[in-house]
Amino acid sequence: MAPRIKRLISLLAAAALFVASAPAASLYATTIDSETEAGAEGSESESPADSSEGTDDSGPATGRIPESEWITIKDYKKVAESDTYIMYLYEPRLSIMLENKKTGAIIESTLSDEKDDGTSNKTWTGYMKSGIVIYAIIKATNTYQVDLVNNKNELKYNYTDNGFSVDIYFEEYGFRLTVEVTLEGDELVVRIPEESIEEEMIDSERYISNISLFPFMGYTYLDDQEGYMLVPDGNGALIYLDDKEGRYNNGFSQLIYGRDEGFDYSKVETLLWNRYQTVTNANKVIAPVFGMAHTGEQQAYLGIVEKGDTRASIEAHPNGVSVNYNRCFAKFLLRDVFIQPLNNSNSGTVQNPERDRTHTDLQVRYILLSGEDADYSGMAVSYRNYLLDNGLVTAKDTAYNTRVDFLGTDREEFLVSTTAVTMTTTDNIEEIYGELQDSGVESLLSVYKGWQKGGIYSVPIKKYKADGKIGGTSALTKLIKESAEKNYNLYLYNDALRMNATTNMTTFNAVKMVNKRTLKEETRAQVYDTFYYLMPNKTNTTLNKFAKSYTKNGVNNLALAGISDSLFSYSSQGDFYGRQDCADSYQETIAGLDEDLNLVLEQPMSYLWNYTDAFLDMPLGSSDYMYLDEEVPFLSIVLKGILPMYSDYVNFEANKTEFFLQMVESGVYPSFYLTYENSSALIYTNSSDLYSTEYSIYKDTVVEYDKALREVASAVEGAYITEHTKMENNVTKVVYDNGVVIYVNYSDSEVSVDGMTIDALSYKVGEAK
Amino acid sequence: MKKNNKIVLQFIAVCLFAMVLISGIGQMTTYADTPYKTYTIDGYGSINETMSAYLPVETITKFGEESLSGPNDLCVTEDGEIYVADTGNSRVVVGDIEGNLIKIVGEGTLKTPMGVYVTKDKHIYVADRDAESVFEFDSAGKLLNQYGKPANPLYGESLSFLPIKITVNDAGVMYIICESNTNGIVEISPTDGGTFLGYFGTNFASSDLMTIISRTIMTDEQRAKMVSNIPSTPDNLAIDDKGLIYTVTRGDETRTLKHLNIAGTNLLGDLDYADIPAAVTAGNHDNVYVVDQKGYIYEYNNDGALLYVFGGPDDGTQRVGLSTIITAIAADNSDRIYTLDSDKAQIQVYGSTEFTDLLHEALYLYSKGRYTESKEPLARVLEMNSMFDYANQAMGRAYFQEENYDMALTYARLAKDYRGYSDSYWEIRNVWLKRNLVAVLFVCILLWAVVKLIKYLDKKKQILAKPKALGAKMKENRVMSNLSYAKYFMRHPIDGSYGIAREGRASWAAPSVILVIFILEYVINKYLCGFLQKTVREGRYEIFSDIGLVLIVVIGLTICNYLVCTINEGEGTVKKIYTYFCYSLLPYVFLTPVNFILSHVLTSNEQFLINMMDMLITGWVLVLAVLAIKEVNNFTAAETAKIIALTIFTILILALLIFIIYVLWAQVFQFISAIFGEVVYRIGS
Repeated sequence: MAPRIKRLISLLAAAALFVASAPAASLYATTIDSETEAGAEGSESESPADSSEGTDDSGPATGRIPESEWITIKDYKKVAESDTYIMYLYEPRLSIMLENKKTGAIIESTLSDEKDDGTSNKTWTGYMKSGIVIYAIIKATNTYQVDLVNNKNELKYNYTDNGFSVDIYFEEYGFRLTVEVTLEGDELVVRIPEESIEEEMIDSERYISNISLFPFMGYTYLDDQEGYMLVPDGNGALIYLDDKEGRYNNGFSQLIYGRDEGFDYSKVETLLWNRYQTVTNANKVIAPVFGMAHTGEQQAYLGIVEKGDTRASIEAHPNGVSVNYNRCFAKFLLRDVFIQPLNNSNSGTVQNPERDRTHTDLQVRYILLSGEDADYSGMAVSYRNYLLDNGLVTAKDTAYNTRVDFLGTDREEFLVSTTAVTMTTTDNIEEIYGELQDSGVESLLSVYKGWQKGGIYSVPIKKYKADGKIGGTSALTKLIKESAEKNYNLYLYNDALRMNATTNMTTFNAVKMVNKRTLKEETRAQVYDTFYYLMPNKTNTTLNKFAKSYTKNGVNNLALAGISDSLFSYSSQGDFYGRQDCADSYQETIAGLDEDLNLVLEQPMSYLWNYTDAFLDMPLGSSDYMYLDEEVPFLSIVLKGILPMYSDYVNFEANKTEFFLQMVESGVYPSFYLTYENSSALIYTNSSDLYSTEYSIYKDTVVEYDKALREVASAVEGAYITEHTKMENNVTKVVYDNGVVIYVNYSDSEVSVDGMTIDALSYKVGEAK
Repeated sequence: MKKNNKIVLQFIAVCLFAMVLISGIGQMTTYADTPYKTYTIDGYGSINETMSAYLPVETITKFGEESLSGPNDLCVTEDGEIYVADTGNSRVVVGDIEGNLIKIVGEGTLKTPMGVYVTKDKHIYVADRDAESVFEFDSAGKLLNQYGKPANPLYGESLSFLPIKITVNDAGVMYIICESNTNGIVEISPTDGGTFLGYFGTNFASSDLMTIISRTIMTDEQRAKMVSNIPSTPDNLAIDDKGLIYTVTRGDETRTLKHLNIAGTNLLGDLDYADIPAAVTAGNHDNVYVVDQKGYIYEYNNDGALLYVFGGPDDGTQRVGLSTIITAIAADNSDRIYTLDSDKAQIQVYGSTEFTDLLHEALYLYSKGRYTESKEPLARVLEMNSMFDYANQAMGRAYFQEENYDMALTYARLAKDYRGYSDSYWEIRNVWLKRNLVAVLFVCILLWAVVKLIKYLDKKKQILAKPKALGAKMKENRVMSNLSYAKYFMRHPIDGSYGIAREGRASWAAPSVILVIFILEYVINKYLCGFLQKTVREGRYEIFSDIGLVLIVVIGLTICNYLVCTINEGEGTVKKIYTYFCYSLLPYVFLTPVNFILSHVLTSNEQFLINMMDMLITGWVLVLAVLAIKEVNNFTAAETAKIIALTIFTILILALLIFIIYVLWAQVFQFISAIFGEVVYRIGS
């Protein structure tokens, strides 16, 4: 009893101290507030920065440069040559030019004076003509553009056999870094070594915010050249190099591997009736690639962000977005500004730059493609080869399976607590499996969600213990083992990222954002409305513990979600961790699990492809950005024949015919999310968005899809896609390296192609002539 | 050979690419996903996600080479011609969904065309604000008529004529919305170069009780200072194929959308509405679409029930199907929806999905009373979304028509369709009664006989002696004794009060037992009563707040009553007051189980029984409480009235006090958290 009283007294004393010191502290708080406000105003008027490009749009146009003053190829010097390309360099602007020895086609890395239409202001002209553009943060809120044209700089070049390196110093800002450029055959590699980046902190307030390397690599002017840019949105999408007539205010600008939830970006949300979010999330960038194809001159490149990818964004801006040029590049984020709230109502905040910058090499590899390969299929093929050659992905068993996922139990509110809503028990699954087998479904991949004790949102899962309502652990083990014998593989779903705020009262293991506030995910759902993220190291121990109790029972099929497609910066006990740390931690965890388990990952980001036996939830479309002109199955072409890919759930698709044809086209296998009971039972649970899942309704569809798609898949088993073309009349032709050709007709009428007749909204599998 | 093939293919690809470039309009005709969610409303009025109802299929940025500039209205004809009031360019542009230009109308004539309407014989009516006229063109674009401000004095001489929206019925009568004219829709007949027929569909100024009261007591000057109570002008209008007018009015809340008959009376009831309605258009299936300026599109059925809401504002990510500022909406024959975005100067076309097509078919059949036929499409709709309540409701009604009452009951309950539930239940109960009436009577007689027998045997052989002795023994227990005294109090409140005041019948335990039973019954009755009596959403439980509420009321009442009584020389102590308040609840405790059972066996038709019971319970409880206050404290009738008024006043004061304390504490907590945030910030940097 005594110690408790003592503690109470000490607490009271502390509280008293707090109260006594409060007036002083609150005075401080107000001063900071006013400072921030002044700063914010300043940033509006002074700062040329905006979020995507960060360049001042005001100021007069520079006008065209007289022809006599043009910097032309004569001013460039040849610095490297391979069998196929010659690289030239114009030193003062760090401007390189690549010439295809065979065709003479040229790729420029900066805006040439010849093509400068003179309509841009000084800042933009500097941006476009400089091989490297840096944004500097000064006083937390203001950012300034630093380039080689408008800012005083010192360049020191060193030449090597196949390229050069240059030490750059911006004296106004005290930034120092080295850029290495090498031409390796058909590949150009540009790199900024981590150790070369220095911020001298002349007045201790000048930081590098981000670095864009060759932001104009392969640019084109309005519709000067035919072609397109490839952006990694969804499965893949193209932006044509046509004249956009100034229709778009911004282009594609997305952080690779998704948003950083560790930063509390102010979200502008417009909600229906102030309550409902109607806009869906855009797709995440799954692979760190971008591409530019000049189809007219048959010259293209595929850019791969090799290092620094965890904190870089893919930028692809069509003409009309600030300037009249089409360009795509990678922008490396080194340091961001975050908002530090000072109270709960968020009325008082200060903006801070991160204490430390990102510490990784920054490297982009440009794979140059010419001739017939200078298109998106060529890019996809070269990316596939790159992945295979570098061991970033290894071929897995790609045999066809229909994917049928089940929901076990969820919870709804009952009296003072919650009660189980059981949708599919192990007995139900056994029955369903039996029926499907009788209907001729030879093999199946199933992910069982909500199997664990407490239902689907009872996360994290600490050990292998099934909910009694679905039949219990031993019944589940038995089901997994027995169904495996008939080639029906049941994987247990485990969201290793999220932590239920209601069932886990402790916030001790929850991820804190960069501003040290707990990262919360609001679901606006009925039963559980808040989820936390589990600390990556905690994820590791929890998962390993779980896996141990799992394998002990002789089962090892695991479907991992959450950590497969999320990266965030976070803070823990005064230390800050970046997205790379997060990626390293997850990669280590998953690699470890992959040794003992059959692992499938839900929408794995590219750095995890090596560890998964299947790619679940492969997007088939794009995010519908207005500036996208065409959707292409880029990732499918890359991964077909290497990883089996499974689509999003068919049952929630409104236009099923078209979705089916897309699966045929991209070689993706179908997925269903089913429950034994009618989905109306879920109406009061967190899963109330599952409005159509009843097995008896979808049984025939499953069998039908299985039959049709299994047949298509068997014709191309293990084969790679070599060519993907959209032809006239809405027909798509997909050529495989085993000679099989698949035609998909998306039009409402019968079409004849290559001597074949394809029915309306149908497909045909043929042989190449 | 293969290589050759490839080159050919490439050639084709290049050709295709060039073709695509030339055509210049949205090339992506299909989308697997939409950038927006589609919601529907369930029977409780809460919103649920559903399958995509409409997908963006086409974005028209220009017709031929003609771009739009700040367009304000569009109209789509049956053969698919799109007429756009191209306000910024002072013309009407006519094109088709492929983006081809058909013609340009009114160049040189029009100044600021704000509204356009095209009749079946392709006469084009344009509402031109700055020209203060309505222009009528024939299908070739020749100006036929120009209607200016009506000369009729009924129009209002000082009012200007600024037409912004127009629609025309089959007889050629024009319905015109004019800017800053609050009298209603201007109705002009084409006879004699435009005859003013009067104002139509006038909105009424809303005046709540407070306004009425304050207006009566205010001086003229004060009244003049008040915000003038002018009825709002409709923002847009549309005409359906029966010639009835739809209007949308901003700020009219649940009456935002009106369906006006010939007499100008609204046919729709309260509905879920758009905050900033921009436009309305009638669909092909007795349905109607309303679009919010922010881009939300609402589809209603002919009863004004919201079927879908989808779309939304562009958050700066520029995704197809999201909008910036919508000014007009139209629907064509194949259920495609066209919205006009004046900021983006483009037309977004949405096509209906398989799901929506089915629903339209079903709702059409259902509204025509062909219930059984509608079951097939309804079943398929429910397969796709089993939580779609309008389909559930229609399905329930269809089953009811087929006399399958069990299924009808199930669907009615899913749809929260109280009328349908009650009707089905009545039928089921009827069948049950028919089948079991004899058995029920038999059981009743048997029970009666058994009771009689036991009583008889007791008389003869005292078989109940032991239980009776046990009962008597239990009454010796103080709590039990007090409990049975409560029963006495219920029947004889004045005598009972005397017992509480003078005979030591006041206690803590017995009243508390009653209170606990009361809370239990209250909670059970609230959450487990019959479906028709339920006031709370199924599956929603807020037990803690219920219990808390009862406790706060009882404790608050006791304390306040005690405070007031003591200063008024009342004789009640806290214990006595607590006792009589709890004892007063006894009628509820005894009668609610009856109510509870009734709620499970009665339909809406017999609802009055339950209401009567409720009134009986409430009345009885109040009488007990009032008499107890009077008798226990030994007050006169007048004093009792005063005490009751004072008690209520004290409760209000207490509530205010608690509120103030709460606010102050919240300030303290915020202050502490601010310090904490500050510390985190300081340590962090």
